[in-house]
Amino acid sequence: MSEHPTSPPVGRVIGTDPATPLEFWVAVSEDRFLQLDDVVVVERSLPGRSEPIRIYGMVADLRVRHEGARFDSDVFLIEDGVLPAQVTEAAKVLATRFEPEVFVPPVPGEVVRKAVGKARDEALFFDGMERRIPAGLSRDGEVIHANLEFMDGTRGAHVNISGVSGVATKTSYAVFLLHSLFTSGELGAGAHNTKALIFNVKGEDLLFLDRPNRHLDGEQMARYTSLGLPASPFASVELWAPPRRGDPSAAPRTGSRADGVTSFFWTLAEFCQDELLPFLFADAGDERQQYTIVVHNVTARLRREANPLDDGGVRLGGVTCRTFEQLIDVISDRLEDDADRGDWAGRSIGTGTINAFVRRLYASRRDAEHLVRGDVPNPGKHRIGMQAQVAVVDIAKLSRRAQRFVVGVVLCRTFRDKEETGAREPLLFVVLDELNKYAPREGHSPIKEILLDMAERGRSLGVILIGAQQTASEVERRVIANSSLRVAGRLDSAEAGRPEYAFLPTAHRQRATILKPGTMILSQPELPVPLVLEFPFPAWATRPDEVGTAPGDSEDTGDPFEGLVE
Amino acid sequence: MSEGGKRVDSLSIEGWSPEFGSPVETDRDEVPAAQVDAGAELPPAEWRPLGAAGAMKPARVYFVDGVRRIEARVWMSHGGEPSLGICASYGAGVVRCGRRAEIVAARVRRAFFGRAGVPDLVTRAGTFTACPVADDDIRQLVNGLQERMGQLEIEVAETALPSASRSSRDGALMVVDGPLRGRQRIAGATGYVKSHRVQYLSGEPRATVARLAPGQRTPVFLIQTTWTRYSWYLRLTRAEGHPWAGIVRCEAWHDTGLGEVKRLADATAAVLPRFASEPHKDDRAPQNLYPIGGLERELRRRLGDTGMVYRALRRAAGDYRPRHGSPTGPGTAAVPP
Repeated sequence: MSEHPTSPPVGRVIGTDPATPLEFWVAVSEDRFLQLDDVVVVERSLPGRSEPIRIYGMVADLRVRHEGARFDSDVFLIEDGVLPAQVTEAAKVLATRFEPEVFVPPVPGEVVRKAVGKARDEALFFDGMERRIPAGLSRDGEVIHANLEFMDGTRGAHVNISGVSGVATKTSYAVFLLHSLFTSGELGAGAHNTKALIFNVKGEDLLFLDRPNRHLDGEQMARYTSLGLPASPFASVELWAPPRRGDPSAAPRTGSRADGVTSFFWTLAEFCQDELLPFLFADAGDERQQYTIVVHNVTARLRREANPLDDGGVRLGGVTCRTFEQLIDVISDRLEDDADRGDWAGRSIGTGTINAFVRRLYASRRDAEHLVRGDVPNPGKHRIGMQAQVAVVDIAKLSRRAQRFVVGVVLCRTFRDKEETGAREPLLFVVLDELNKYAPREGHSPIKEILLDMAERGRSLGVILIGAQQTASEVERRVIANSSLRVAGRLDSAEAGRPEYAFLPTAHRQRATILKPGTMILSQPELPVPLVLEFPFPAWATRPDEVGTAPGDSEDTGDPFEGLVE
Repeated sequence: MSEGGKRVDSLSIEGWSPEFGSPVETDRDEVPAAQVDAGAELPPAEWRPLGAAGAMKPARVYFVDGVRRIEARVWMSHGGEPSLGICASYGAGVVRCGRRAEIVAARVRRAFFGRAGVPDLVTRAGTFTACPVADDDIRQLVNGLQERMGQLEIEVAETALPSASRSSRDGALMVVDGPLRGRQRIAGATGYVKSHRVQYLSGEPRATVARLAPGQRTPVFLIQTTWTRYSWYLRLTRAEGHPWAGIVRCEAWHDTGLGEVKRLADATAAVLPRFASEPHKDDRAPQNLYPIGGLERELRRRLGDTGMVYRALRRAAGDYRPRHGSPTGPGTAAVPP
């Protein structure tokens, strides 16, 4: 700890504003400057200690003013050369660390220096992170690390990202974190088996993860180099899309990405055996409705009475069902049949409640008939299996109900599978945007239960949730409270004022309303101050027109008319 | 350090406000004129407002000013015989107004005025240097302070712009706040008098002053009292109120020569109105010029907090031991335990 590189002084602690152990102001020397997020160090000698203590901090605010001016209009006199005045600059510093830990404020007049190299690592607690991954670059181009032990479940798990859609680049940052996890080498031997499940909820951004981005320029490549990460797309990706509606062969419904996409659906046998019916009724608040009793009874009956056929269909009460419609016809027949009603719906259930259920069942037909079926040969290969490292499940083009069904079923299954293996390793990362849809603050739903389970027990089971939402205030508190890493992109100013963002100091909250795409604020458990970071432009394509042959190759194929003519 | 004289045995700071009983004297006394020659530039009958249209405008204007503050009144005991002294802080500085207004020199001193034998007084706020004066009458003590401040003004003026390069031809004008008396040694300087307690003119010349338009001046006249200088009136702005509102009087040392004085007078009429202050920003507007107001504020700031200085003085006086009596002479008396 003795060889701390010394950088030239940048200023001194001022005495006109009180200095506290948590924050203090520094007057910046005339020939130097400090910018937001600069890391500084100041020493203080204490009686009875031979070594001075080092107080580290980070610049959270800056102010410049005219000393000698009393009125706002004095600025004109000063600029006209009539009134003498001096420009002074001061930086507000939030303390991050005391070494050794004696919590005393710095003394006015003490020399403040920029913390560089080892001192910077110490200031930001990077020195104590045994396993860390690059999480981005600071404004001055230095690497900002995230403690892997708070991501992989060792000491904490889960990441939560908030931000306005469109400008906050939430999903891009989540994917960048995955890239960093997989390629930084910090996961060690387990990196190869570590998996990621990503739900593509909007557009087609995530359907080209395995393709290089030809818009990646030299400058951005250099940023990857400074992070110590390869500027390459994801090596092992499988893409899953829902089947085309009405297509007997269940060809995947794809947009601009046509190759390498497999369609996914569940067989009627799975639907009955794995009790997937409740996920069709996953509306928050439905739990309070009477008919949910019917849902549970029907689910239990289906599991007990449906006989699976080899090709995915079921045989139920003498009727062979190969389509979802056939299945719900059988179910409604049973419910309307006076003899079976008691068994299927439950005792003393009124016809009104049964009708409510049947109505909803038929309403779900259009949303679910292509996702639950028994009419396609070889259904095993349409089962989301996660053979590759990254599995992207495209649900962007599905209806809201179908989206909930898919997310619920996929999460439920992966979580159950993981539970059964009982081992934390290999880790599974789940990236899910729009958490407010799946785990809303109010109400109950099967998906919310799974997400809560994941947030609370996932750490020990090795299932790590990287969740994102526009507004953290609308997401179940426990899901966010269990996230060790909190990230904020651009926030709406009304949203930034809510208590969910209390982890951001006032200055950072204000900044969160003006962050530009590619800039995030990262809060980690060990650091008392969140760090503002920038992450590089994706090395993988996010749009069909970004797909290139290899990174940086775009110059070679430089056709000046490219893109002008179809 | 006290040389000779009677040894001071003990010091005590008077609890009363330091300014109590001191003569109320804001500007340096304007001595009633013994002799005024209104015909130095134009015969009194031909007096008229003179414009500064063709005047040379200096590229840089230097303003020199000083501030002073009596920190405490101190009773000294010389072998049982009491005498009064004052501890005072004073400062002087120079603002250079070119493209920007900058304080180019500023110095602050602390001094201990008293009868011969007055010691240096070391405090945590700095050393109050012994300055012997002839009598311990408060007026005499304040005059001593005034004199020291004048000397400091000369010192800073010399630092900011050496006298060799000081003439209207070099494009620099040096304006000293207040009458020149006591500061004649600031060669080539113009005294700037804001108040008019003495009437130097009568008849047509006096009427001319009231007729001045902003930026116009009267012809130069000669004043002879205990010393001789040239003087002229000029109007800064069209101020509300009485006919002499917005009028200031300038002076130049007679050694400067009438030709140079006329050039100086034209230059002041041409540039000073630009620096005139507005009533909502300065209660002595428009006569108290912006640069001088700014400089005074800065100098007062540099004098330090009066409460802190007073505290330091009380402590130092309590710790004071005569120089030969004990090892703790004035040089170490103020070091806190």
